[in-house]
Amino acid sequence: MLVDLQGPWSPLLGRLALSQIPYENHILAPLFVVVVILGLAIIAAISYFGKWGYLWREWLTTVDHKKIGIMYILIGLVMLFRGFMDALMIRTQQAMAVGPDAPGYLGALHGYLAPYHFGQIYSAHGVIMILLAATPLLVGIMNVIVPLQIGARDMAYPYLNALGLWVTAAAAALVMVSLFVGDFSHNGWFGIAPIFELSYSPGVGVDYWMWVMQLTALGSTLGSINILATVVKMRAPGMTWLRLPIFTWAAVASNIIALTSFPALTVALALIGFDRYLGTHFFTAGLGGNLMLYTNLFWIWGHPEVYFVILPAFGMISEIIPTFSEKPLFGYVTMVLATFGIAGASWAVWLHHFFTMGAGPAVNSFFSVATMLVGIPTGVKVFNWAFTMYRGRLRFETAMLWAVGAVFLLLLGGLTGMMLAIPAINYMVHNSVFVIAHFHQMLLVIVYAIFGAVTYWWPKVFGFKLNEAWGKAVFWLFTAGSVLVFVPMFTLGFMGMTRRLDYVFNTQWQPLLDIQVLGIAVYSLSVLAFVGMLYVSIRDHAKNQVSVDAWGTARSLEWMTPSPVPFYNFAVVPHINARDEWAWRKEHGFTDLRPDHYEDIHMPKNTGIPLILGALMFLLGFGLTWRIWWLCALSLALIIALVIIRSFDSDTGYTIPADEVERMERGHHERARAVDLPAAGVLGGAIAYGQADPAVKGQGAALGGGMTSPEGSRV
Amino acid sequence: MDMWRKKLAHWVRYLALAPVLLLNGCSTSHFWLFDPKGPMANADLYYMVIDVAVMLTIVGITTLMIIWFLWRYRKSRGKGTYDPKWSHSNAIEVVVWGIPIIAVAFLSYYAIEGTYALNPYDPTVIKEHTVAGDDPLEVDVITTDWRWLFIYPKYHIASVNELVVPAHTPVYFRLTSSSVVNDFFIPQLVGMIDVMPGMRTKSALLANHVGEYQGFSADYSGAGFSWMQFRTKVVSAEQFQQWTQQIQASPRQLSYAAFNEFAKPYIDVSGKPEYFSGVQDGLFDHVLGEVMNGKVWPLPMAMTENMVDYMKEQNARTSTRTSN
Repeated sequence: MLVDLQGPWSPLLGRLALSQIPYENHILAPLFVVVVILGLAIIAAISYFGKWGYLWREWLTTVDHKKIGIMYILIGLVMLFRGFMDALMIRTQQAMAVGPDAPGYLGALHGYLAPYHFGQIYSAHGVIMILLAATPLLVGIMNVIVPLQIGARDMAYPYLNALGLWVTAAAAALVMVSLFVGDFSHNGWFGIAPIFELSYSPGVGVDYWMWVMQLTALGSTLGSINILATVVKMRAPGMTWLRLPIFTWAAVASNIIALTSFPALTVALALIGFDRYLGTHFFTAGLGGNLMLYTNLFWIWGHPEVYFVILPAFGMISEIIPTFSEKPLFGYVTMVLATFGIAGASWAVWLHHFFTMGAGPAVNSFFSVATMLVGIPTGVKVFNWAFTMYRGRLRFETAMLWAVGAVFLLLLGGLTGMMLAIPAINYMVHNSVFVIAHFHQMLLVIVYAIFGAVTYWWPKVFGFKLNEAWGKAVFWLFTAGSVLVFVPMFTLGFMGMTRRLDYVFNTQWQPLLDIQVLGIAVYSLSVLAFVGMLYVSIRDHAKNQVSVDAWGTARSLEWMTPSPVPFYNFAVVPHINARDEWAWRKEHGFTDLRPDHYEDIHMPKNTGIPLILGALMFLLGFGLTWRIWWLCALSLALIIALVIIRSFDSDTGYTIPADEVERMERGHHERARAVDLPAAGVLGGAIAYGQADPAVKGQGAALGGGMTSPEGSRV
Repeated sequence: MDMWRKKLAHWVRYLALAPVLLLNGCSTSHFWLFDPKGPMANADLYYMVIDVAVMLTIVGITTLMIIWFLWRYRKSRGKGTYDPKWSHSNAIEVVVWGIPIIAVAFLSYYAIEGTYALNPYDPTVIKEHTVAGDDPLEVDVITTDWRWLFIYPKYHIASVNELVVPAHTPVYFRLTSSSVVNDFFIPQLVGMIDVMPGMRTKSALLANHVGEYQGFSADYSGAGFSWMQFRTKVVSAEQFQQWTQQIQASPRQLSYAAFNEFAKPYIDVSGKPEYFSGVQDGLFDHVLGEVMNGKVWPLPMAMTENMVDYMKEQNARTSTRTSN
């Protein structure tokens, strides 16, 4: 051992010992029993219905970007729930632990969570919500939608895509295991230097946190390479850059951010690793270490990461609002410029996360102004959404409600963000719950966009719509919960309350903390309503089936594929004629999606290797956390061996013959007829464009059939 | 009819005050940020008012505009004309870029001005309020795990969990930590500044009103963080002199050796003040130097898994220490 560790260590089990299992904990032990029972029930159900083969062939080994996206979203939803449970505990603890007379339970002096547990809970809440809920949800939606929007059959690297998924799953598994084996970090999601050093965090919590972060960093980097390569190289013919759907633009911008910023995180975490495992002094206070270095390095990644998650959300809003306004997005070019303006500014604002660290006024001024510059493109986006609705015909279906809600939240987030950008104000509210309320507003923009996007694209992926009434119930309950939690939180910020308090010393804050608990209760109802919505929608799915263009007024390429989308996406790769291709085709009468002739389709083969690599990475992370060196060496050797073996496998694809494609396509069209829906678009005559333009119509068949792009057509 | 309207207007005026009632009838003093007691906190509030006024104008108008669009252009019964092709207007583009640019330019001026006015190392706000002949007070602040130690080098005294300063006198702080990072924060007097181990930051305050104000650590520093509060007593100059003499008579002395014992992890649930006389010369710099040379006061594993047990153990530990 290169460093002195507190507690025992053995070569076989490392630091792991029976005493590390918190079986005496009154919250975790029952939870563990529930998890085991649920797990056994799921295993029993799969065995009973004989679905193991199906699960292995269709999901666990798949390289289909849509299925990978769905699994990302599933991980995201499960972790969103876990993060919500953490939030529930934070809020109830703070409301119970106000003032020196507040009673204590379960070993806590006040409330029911001792500092040791409270610290872990808010740290896990942050890590989970940002890296294992928001990110997988967004990456999942990008995974499903981006290839469809650019007319590709899959990602550029389908195998890498599956690998990214399973690495993320390994990270999620590691953070869940930390619940029941050992403890989690208690020094915040971003790591507060130098608390993560061995002197102040002698347990395994920080190691869990570090390896969870490292795994998600790896997963996100792989994913960003893939999406960028896909958009650059795999666009359908005619899909010029300025015809790219706006969500795809957002995906490009956000993945450029991810690709360039995640290495900074990897380095920062690796240096913590050196400190904790090798006894170096990168971020210690003494012996030449510099804790400010860590804070800088972390936020050089951390702030771009914030925009990595918000830009796709902006992209989703930009897709939903035009569809339900029944008109094109206002100022497309400006919107693209604004997206890249935000992305560009994201690299130059990191210091605003620590204005109080004592940098000189010149430095603080620079970062203050740089931060406010972000407000310009963001403001432009809000105005553009507003003018998209102007002269439209607005339909307030659930997806639109979420999108409009996100715009209002963004306005409030912008107002408070501009306050925080000014150091003079920031000195008063930095580390206060005002900041917490502000960034939760911004993350709620993302959550609203995600719920909107899930509602919006659900029929494309599954072939039926989600129940509207239940969806609206989820929206209003969620909104009520947000108001009840975050308005009091902003208010508490003005009253001077700061963050991460396990014990709240000022009794005047009690009423507002109680209102927040009420808000959390309403949030819980919205969770139930969400489950209810899924249940009712799946139960009635036969009634709610849709054809290609589920909303009738959608505009982009993905709405030209059958719903649900076949695994090869497009039977024939379409030729793109306009910016809003599907809207253009509806306008010109090319809504018949049957091509003249079919071609052979080359598709990637399924592979179980990414799943095995993910499992090995989980073992590696677990071994490193507990310092079980033989496990680390073994899993690392296997990872390297598997990667090398796989690289010699040249038989990674297969071909579907043209007649087979034709047979399957005919099936889709027949199914569309069977549910009494037109094969294409125009549900309820929502599009009011006149007769097709005969001049253009004469040029060729609708889908792909060699139709050239008429120069000067509307782009 | 006119009477009615007048009565209604009368009531509406009171209704506008309803939100204030919702703030459970408390005085503004519950809103520490809106109730500054010195020029530093006052300046913070001044810049907040400017920023909120500018931003609220823009955000408010935009919000109303969007609500109007939502109403006017709703598909069911909306009165707006539907123009399915309209997606561009140079005039609107100029406006939507122009408004944020002008707002940001305007606010940038105040942002920079405020950063210099409140620069914790040399706040011009305090200089403006200092008159010739003012004798500023110097206080050295050290945070440990998890207590506040305020050293008054000129008087060779120190206090724990209690900061006593004279009113109308500039107070200059030097701050460092013996363990991890804390944030020095007295909402009604001065904004936050990080207190870091192996490093020295500065801050300053000037209190205009005699009284007692809450100070506390604003940055998470571990198990005892939630109990890291200190009372800030602003007293008259005479009272301050009396206080220093009183503390100078206190029996406990603070050498570096005593500090070494004091800095061991201790959760100060009671928050009772303690006082030291005979504080070693240059104690602050000595602690700073030791920490830079790698001195740490490490924490035991899983120290507050059960807080009640931990407190019993800590009480036992500290009582044996004092009896020795």
